[in-house]
Amino acid sequence: MTDPTPTPLVQFRGVRKLYGSAIAVKSLDLDIGRGEFVALMGPSGCGKTTTLRMLAGLETPTAGSITIGGKLMNDVPAHQRDTPLVWQSLALFPFLSVVENVEFGLRMRGVAAGERRSRAMMWLERMGLQGFEARRIDQLSGGQRQRVALARSLVTEPEMLLLDEPLSALDAHLVIRMQGVLTKLQRELGITFVYVTHSHSEAFAMADRVVIMGHGEIEQIGAPREIFRTPRSRFVAEFVGRNNIIAGVVAGGILSSEHGAFPIAAPDGSAEIVVAADTVTVLRAPPEAGPAVKVAFLSEEFAGTGIICYFEAADGSEFKAQVTEEQLADLQPEPGAAFWLSWDPARVHVMGG
Amino acid sequence: MIDRSGLYRLTWRLPLLLWQGAFFVVPLCFMAAMTFWLVQNYRMEPAFVWTNWQRMLGRAVFWDAYWVTLWRAALAGLIASVVAFPASYVLAFRMGEAGRRFVLLCLIVPFFTSFLVRAYAWQVILAESGPVNAVLGGVGLGPFTMLNSSFGTMVGYLTLVLPLVVIFQTWSLAAIDRALIEAAWNLGATPVKTLLRVILPAARTGLLLGAVFAFIMSFGDFVSPAYLGGSKPPTLSILIIDTTKSGQQWPRAAVVSVMMIVTLFATAAAALRLAYGRRG
Amino acid sequence: MRRAGDLLGAIYLVALFVFVFAPIAASVVFSFNSDRFPTLPLGSFTTDWYARAFSRPELWEAIANSLLVAAVTSVLATFIGFATAYTDFRYGFRFKQAYLALALLPPTMPLVIMGLAMLAWLSQLGLSGTLRGIIIAHTVLATPFAMAICRLRLSQMDTTLEAAAWNLGAGQWGAMRHVILPFCAPAIVSSLCLTAAVSFDEFIVAWFVSGLNRTVPVMILEILQGNVDPQINAIGSVVFLTSMTLVVLAQLMIFRRRRHD
Repeated sequence: MTDPTPTPLVQFRGVRKLYGSAIAVKSLDLDIGRGEFVALMGPSGCGKTTTLRMLAGLETPTAGSITIGGKLMNDVPAHQRDTPLVWQSLALFPFLSVVENVEFGLRMRGVAAGERRSRAMMWLERMGLQGFEARRIDQLSGGQRQRVALARSLVTEPEMLLLDEPLSALDAHLVIRMQGVLTKLQRELGITFVYVTHSHSEAFAMADRVVIMGHGEIEQIGAPREIFRTPRSRFVAEFVGRNNIIAGVVAGGILSSEHGAFPIAAPDGSAEIVVAADTVTVLRAPPEAGPAVKVAFLSEEFAGTGIICYFEAADGSEFKAQVTEEQLADLQPEPGAAFWLSWDPARVHVMGG
Repeated sequence: MIDRSGLYRLTWRLPLLLWQGAFFVVPLCFMAAMTFWLVQNYRMEPAFVWTNWQRMLGRAVFWDAYWVTLWRAALAGLIASVVAFPASYVLAFRMGEAGRRFVLLCLIVPFFTSFLVRAYAWQVILAESGPVNAVLGGVGLGPFTMLNSSFGTMVGYLTLVLPLVVIFQTWSLAAIDRALIEAAWNLGATPVKTLLRVILPAARTGLLLGAVFAFIMSFGDFVSPAYLGGSKPPTLSILIIDTTKSGQQWPRAAVVSVMMIVTLFATAAAALRLAYGRRG
Repeated sequence: MRRAGDLLGAIYLVALFVFVFAPIAASVVFSFNSDRFPTLPLGSFTTDWYARAFSRPELWEAIANSLLVAAVTSVLATFIGFATAYTDFRYGFRFKQAYLALALLPPTMPLVIMGLAMLAWLSQLGLSGTLRGIIIAHTVLATPFAMAICRLRLSQMDTTLEAAAWNLGAGQWGAMRHVILPFCAPAIVSSLCLTAAVSFDEFIVAWFVSGLNRTVPVMILEILQGNVDPQINAIGSVVFLTSMTLVVLAQLMIFRRRRHD
């Protein structure tokens, strides 16, 4: 589901949020489809959490309109919406047992005791928490709490689930597991997930669409791969990471920059190009043909998908290249050692397109 | 022999043990022992007799005073908690950090000012011909008799305990994680249900401690019942003073004191269990 | 709707403050009011009650007693309180819970009971009816406050500071004198003020053990047992002013150190 369905579940139109004179969200237009997994991503202070909270009714937009299922929601108080949220801190009630936490939403809606208990138990079972219903929250592990929070939010069978950096407090190995749990859950339930995060790996691993926000505005919307390979602006390219950005002037298919001149398929004028780290080749000697930048080795970092090597160009700007372990062993880089970086001109992305 | 470091350690550790031992623990123990002594010709003589206990606990006056004191102190704890709560709520949820701290600092001040003079001021304010009745008379009400009644006593108790109760409640309310309150709204709780189902349980410890402190202070207070309540009926503290001052019957006053201490400890223990213990 | 709620809340808060501070304000207002039985509208302005009260020699005697008792009490209580706070901060030992309970329990004991116990015990020691007796009793009551203030300050201290001083060659006493005491100075001043205020306002225990050596509050109590006398307002206003000055001074010390740290 790359595109929103013809009748989107949620529509933001010209939404603006000010705190005093500080702008949290400048002007937001966004459609979210039914059954879609959307990630709102951006650095802290970009307005992603404010956007989510406006959707939940915990903040009121200063201007613009928010509709859910075609109904204008601006002035509907939080407790009259069905937009459960999973908090970063989880916000489980410490004075209630596990099952009492889960049935809270049903209780507030006046569901009879017997029914709400059986529905809560069903969700606990679904989340693999049978046998834990009488426990107190502080007797659970981090992963278990996470699942209680999910069960508590889903027990009312909402059309949409909001998640505010729910995995940021978990250990790394649990994060991967919970990502699997969330993705599976979303597929099975077929409901909309709106997921706020600052972590690319979480967003790219789970979401159908990623919304990159910066300074209270949307910078780019697209499928994870689209955003990763063809960032629209320097902001997105830098935020997504593992990209080398070269700015310069194009004349007759040649980009002239501080790092040299490279062939490029772009119209004349100033341009910024993105060379993804995994498309860069590290060489001990200048290549016979193709683009090349002379750099000095700085350090390497082991990442999940390979090894990222960091280099410094003559002007002090940083370059990154992804290599395999064999390649690293081959290169045996020492700090300060000189290398040449090259790439396939066809895989270069020209920004602002 | 004590080495240099041992001397240093004892210099800081001993003062409390010596002073509070000799002038807090020993006097209270002595008082407890005194309940078994005899009074003859206005002089106490060491003995071990149950006479004082039998005399005090066998009198209706004592038990009347006991239940009146217990009931009024409990009522003061309850009323103070209820009256303080809206103010604490405003302080905790509708005020910024700096404003809240300033207000709480102001509320500490009365705690260290003469309660006696404040009680006297109430005597004047609430008098039959005092300012309050003058204002009420201006709109055709009254005059009301407010002094020398349980109303007067309660005014005194509240003056004494309200600042402390507000401080306790505000602390515990302000400490509630805002996400819990938002989570309640988010899960469909109306503001009233949020208050009952989330805010009150989350602040339980502070709310109970506030009530217990109000109870303890009112239970032992002597000024309010004596100067605003007119000593009728006498409370336990009035009984102690009368028995000590006019009757020279220290051992019998000591019996009343021991009964009070036992009651306070039992209440405090029960309340702490309730405040910190598990639910259900 | 939220606006209206906020307004109601503010009004409620103000009403509660009026209730708590009304007696203090009324006492000051009535002390300058000519009526013996004040009511509304107020009578004329007068300083007569002050003149009458302060022309009584026994009031001056009581003031001298109160000041002496408060001064000695504040020094004793602050020393014991600081020593206790430091012990709690620095050392762990068996029965520490009991030690701390002993340190913090006295304020929970009804003053009437403290009065009786003190009276009985001090009589045995032959100290009943003396100023020394009052000082002893007030030190017992004030020490927990001193302990609390000093402990609060110590908890803001980096625990490695003292060790660093030893490391630089200071002995235990040297570290105390050059590191810990200077760090705790604001708390100590604050504690001196607050414990003086506690002593200055305490009247029940003082009344039990004072005998003929009355302090100011005891004198007020004895006047109060007679009849309505606006001299109490005059004396009371002076007492309020004194203790409030002490408490505000104590708070200013705490506040100042917050800003600096």
